[in-house]
Amino acid sequence: MADPLMSLRDLRVEFDTRHGRVTALSGISLDVMPGETLGIVGESGCGKSITALAMMGLVPNPPGHVTGGQILFQGEDITRAKPRRLRRLRGREIAMIFQEPMTSLNPVFTVGDQIAEAILLHQDVSRAQAEKQVVDLLATVGIPEPARRAKAYPHELSGGMRQRVMIAMAISCRPKLLIADEPTTALDVTVQAQIFDLMRDIQREFGVAIVLITHDMGAIAEMTDRVAVMYAGRIIEQGTSDQILDNPLHPYTRGLIGCIPVLGREAGDAASLPPLAEIPGIVPPLHLLGDGCAFAERCALADDYCRAVRPPLEEKGHPVACHHAGQGVPA
Amino acid sequence: MGTARYITRRLAYGLILMIGVVVLNFILIHAAPGDPADVIAGEMGGATEEMMAQIRARYGLDQPLPVQLWIYLSNIARFDLGMSYYFDRPVTELIGQRIWPTVLLVLTAQLIAIALGVVMGVLASRRPNGPFSGFVSVFSTVGYAAPVFWTGLMLIILFSVIVPLFPVEGMTSARFRGTGLAYALNVAHHLVLPAFTLAIIFLAQYARLSRASMIEVLGADYVRTARAKGLGEGAVTFRHALRNAVLPILTVAGIQFGNLISGALLVETVFNWPGMGRLAFDSVLRRDYPTLLGVLFCASGVVVIANLLTDLSYRLADPRIRTGGR
Amino acid sequence: MAAPDPIVPQTGSKQPGAAPPPATPGRSNEASSPMREAWGQFLKNRPAVFGLALLAVIVGLVLYGHFIFDADPYDIVWMPLTPPGEEEGIWLGTDFLGRDMFTGLMKGGAPTLAVGLSAALITVVIGITMGSLAGFFGGWLDDLLMRLTEFFQVLPALLFAMVLVTLFSPSLWTIAFAIGIVSWPQTARLTRAEFLRIRELEYVTAARSIGAGNGRIIWRVILPNALPPLIVSATLTIGVAILFEAGLSFLGLGDPNTMSWGLMIGQNRNYLLDAWWPVTLPGLAIFLTVFAVSLVGDGLNDAFNPKLRSR
Repeated sequence: MADPLMSLRDLRVEFDTRHGRVTALSGISLDVMPGETLGIVGESGCGKSITALAMMGLVPNPPGHVTGGQILFQGEDITRAKPRRLRRLRGREIAMIFQEPMTSLNPVFTVGDQIAEAILLHQDVSRAQAEKQVVDLLATVGIPEPARRAKAYPHELSGGMRQRVMIAMAISCRPKLLIADEPTTALDVTVQAQIFDLMRDIQREFGVAIVLITHDMGAIAEMTDRVAVMYAGRIIEQGTSDQILDNPLHPYTRGLIGCIPVLGREAGDAASLPPLAEIPGIVPPLHLLGDGCAFAERCALADDYCRAVRPPLEEKGHPVACHHAGQGVPA
Repeated sequence: MGTARYITRRLAYGLILMIGVVVLNFILIHAAPGDPADVIAGEMGGATEEMMAQIRARYGLDQPLPVQLWIYLSNIARFDLGMSYYFDRPVTELIGQRIWPTVLLVLTAQLIAIALGVVMGVLASRRPNGPFSGFVSVFSTVGYAAPVFWTGLMLIILFSVIVPLFPVEGMTSARFRGTGLAYALNVAHHLVLPAFTLAIIFLAQYARLSRASMIEVLGADYVRTARAKGLGEGAVTFRHALRNAVLPILTVAGIQFGNLISGALLVETVFNWPGMGRLAFDSVLRRDYPTLLGVLFCASGVVVIANLLTDLSYRLADPRIRTGGR
Repeated sequence: MAAPDPIVPQTGSKQPGAAPPPATPGRSNEASSPMREAWGQFLKNRPAVFGLALLAVIVGLVLYGHFIFDADPYDIVWMPLTPPGEEEGIWLGTDFLGRDMFTGLMKGGAPTLAVGLSAALITVVIGITMGSLAGFFGGWLDDLLMRLTEFFQVLPALLFAMVLVTLFSPSLWTIAFAIGIVSWPQTARLTRAEFLRIRELEYVTAARSIGAGNGRIIWRVILPNALPPLIVSATLTIGVAILFEAGLSFLGLGDPNTMSWGLMIGQNRNYLLDAWWPVTLPGLAIFLTVFAVSLVGDGLNDAFNPKLRSR
């Protein structure tokens, strides 16, 4: 098997808040293989966006700190890299697209200029060459009349178009890894499908590995090869997409898929969003969760043992962190 | 809306505002106690019969009011703002000499205020809870509370008396006869204190505003995108964030032009700067109403033009307005 | 200020049916509690409390100072331009005529504060009237009134006030009126914006649906809810008006029969190179007064918008 493109080793990220220092990620380990698509799934606040930012070396500081573990990109630990080295990786080797195409583009520059900026930053080309590349890129991501659109300002484009522009910017320097943080959440359903098609085409053409961050199991089913399920700053289940979707072991994963009832909800009415109460705040106050399983409060299977002892991530067919893994599936 | 059409519309609107100022002047002359001819003569009963007759004929003061207004308007349309009987010269000529020093002072102060204000705001926004940020907050309250004429006098004590770096008053040294660069340097030397005095109030406001605006913009998604591209902090701050953060400052700077002129009035009086403010002060002392009203008219004109230019620069800076988007 | 006292307690208390507050109607102290809460917030704000205390000291000295230090500010007490502390009993020195600076400072605050307060009152009354009419009725009236505010924003305020004071007599009332008539546009814009926001809210529709007239809706329903930002703006307007009065009397356009801080600076500035105190001290008095007022204004602003405070 090939070496992983990126691997997180026991990554810890902490944030300074009004309530003191809280842990946003406590010991995340995962690998991204070249050319594959890895899904990271969970509700907002579970730490998946922080994981994505950490992979870019962009954990907002202050208030955030990477306090432990390693982030290896092609064997190089980027938690120890100098800012200069990090900037050379960003945009060139690792690129990112964000959830809100409305606000992720700078309103006062043309989209062409914003893409050209990334090209000129990382490649030794002239302004004219860069502008030609911009038009080609816009054509690649399926924008009609690319030469004219390059001169447009973000507010003159639709949401789907803007996300295509973001993708064009991300792939402009042929990165090895593309991190997509909820890339379709803000878009219409039909546009979502188009963007996913585009991402698959891009992957086929450029061989880029994709990390897809989402809360939507539908997107996981459609796009990913492997999946990591996150809850409260930890990975609680991990496996191939088939393993996770066909044989989910953790009650939370089942909740996300919508095949078991979770406290007071009927099975079946979980069409799009998982029927779970959101964890308040971006950063869950993990120090308040105590020693037990973080999901116990919301879990139909939880018992006193769950509340007292945190289940480790163990191999039970595939890795899962639950004392009752695979139990209690109602007919 | 195309820029040409926009400019035409704004010019037309500015023209209407100016006609409004003329009508206001007319109303003031007639609402003031006493005979309008007396008011125009500015001598309050002391004018000669000959002079009064001349004024009556010139302004059609025996005609009905609407006709008088029309005469007044058409005089001003021909740039005839009347005679200063004190200086015995046309008001247009007097103001013509005095308008450029005022424009120089006001624009320099505005540029200093915007440039320094933005720099202070940007520095403060880097550490929103740091000591410099606190200093900017205190400074903005202090700068706002100090009367501008007093600040000027204090700066004279500090930088002309205790540390004699800059001249006390005037726009050029007495008996200075140089030309070209020597002249420009001499004026610049005299300009430093008045311009800074006038700039301080506005500087305080802009610093506070740009601090808040930068803090907001630095948290924006597109700034994160810029970082994700691999841009350094300098490019992120100055190219991506600042360009957006100055937009509210431009808006406020446009609104402040009227206040700048008011401030210039006091600063010119303190530093004996030969501008329109000084002229207005002198004509108040001499009850020279045509000159005073002429200054009011021209100063309003400067504000109208400044507002027009601000709006245009805003359109250049913000494509969302230029291309008619949201 | 704009007599908020009779208005505030009436929200939803006397007329619970006509103006149901957003929450549960009928509880009588519902409307006053946000004000009380804001007051509590205000007291926790140290700079604001300092400003209030400073203001109290200044107003106290200006109002009652002459009872304690009974003296005529026009009396010539010693050599002209005596430095502070040089002569016993003349703590702050004398001015260019030999008049006592300390007595002058006591007396000189009265016109400044009086004009500042009444000008702010005039500003607020004109501004709220214009702004509420424009914001409530909209349409052509809004257009007209907004063009009018733009017109007054183009006029250089101090120059226009100079013209008014020169053409008419420079009494305290003329000055206050002149300041008011050039300062109202900002209050009008703020009021209009608040009215535009509030008139769309449900409790306004509710009041209308049970037959409340326009006057009642403007005065009893919308205005009380628009008060917090207007109170802040009115406070800051006092500071602006004080600076304005100081500028006019510095130029010699104040009431010629009263001693005032601005006038003291204007009269003594020709002797600036020989004596710093007759110019510096009155300016310091103006500065401290406006500084105190704006600390209070900022404190009120923070108290009414607790969310903004963390910035």
